Amino acid sequence: MDLQITTGEGKTFATLKGRLDTTNASQFQQDMAPLMELEHPDIEIDCSDMEYTSSQGLRLFLMLQKAVSLKNGNMVMKNMRPEVKEVFDITGFSNIIKIQ
Amino acid sequence: MLKKRFEPVEGRNQEIIETVMNCSDVDSLPENIKFKIRLCVEEVEENILCYSGTTWVELGVWIDNSQLNIRFRDGGVEFNPLDNGEPDLEAPVEKRQIGGLGILICKKMMSEIVYTYKDRSNSLLMKLNLNA
Repeated sequence: MDLQITTGEGKTFATLKGRLDTTNASQFQQDMAPLMELEHPDIEIDCSDMEYTSSQGLRLFLMLQKAVSLKNGNMVMKNMRPEVKEVFDITGFSNIIKIQ
Repeated sequence: MLKKRFEPVEGRNQEIIETVMNCSDVDSLPENIKFKIRLCVEEVEENILCYSGTTWVELGVWIDNSQLNIRFRDGGVEFNPLDNGEPDLEAPVEKRQIGGLGILICKKMMSEIVYTYKDRSNSLLMKLNLNA
């Protein structure tokens, strides 16, 4: 899973590309550390090229959402593929993470 | 029908997943179905390899009456994942727990899951109706 992070106009933009599973979840956790450490998080994540996530990935998105919520920040995941969105839906993650 | 035994199992997570995905009964299925299969296989085998303490896994894959069957057998500690309570899907983000997501995904994506314990072996059979 590739993660690219850019900033602009007070927002942080992240782009996900590839598969997020048990083989790379640990690396992804390290890669997303800058997002976890934002003081005033306002994060927009483009998921159009995210092909797959297992429960390992969901755990990391939950960690990130908790960190963002704790700081009264904002996070939105955009352009999610239908099959990936279904994983978020059936686990109830669509209720706790903003998805557009 | 595919039947294959993996022993030892340490570090063979991806090999087990790819064995399922590359077998003829699965390889020819539509991509959206293969997505579900890969996900459920990953969730189940991760639980087995990480927590059961088994030294072997026996994998079976076959289609019967338009139903795909994927069976994992292992020699680890007796554990029925279906007995675990489901996470509270209505809980607010600060109270959401990270446990139990894998088996929840399998329950929702597969048509049926059957667990048995016999001859000191766990057996988890996932059934997916291909006509649904």
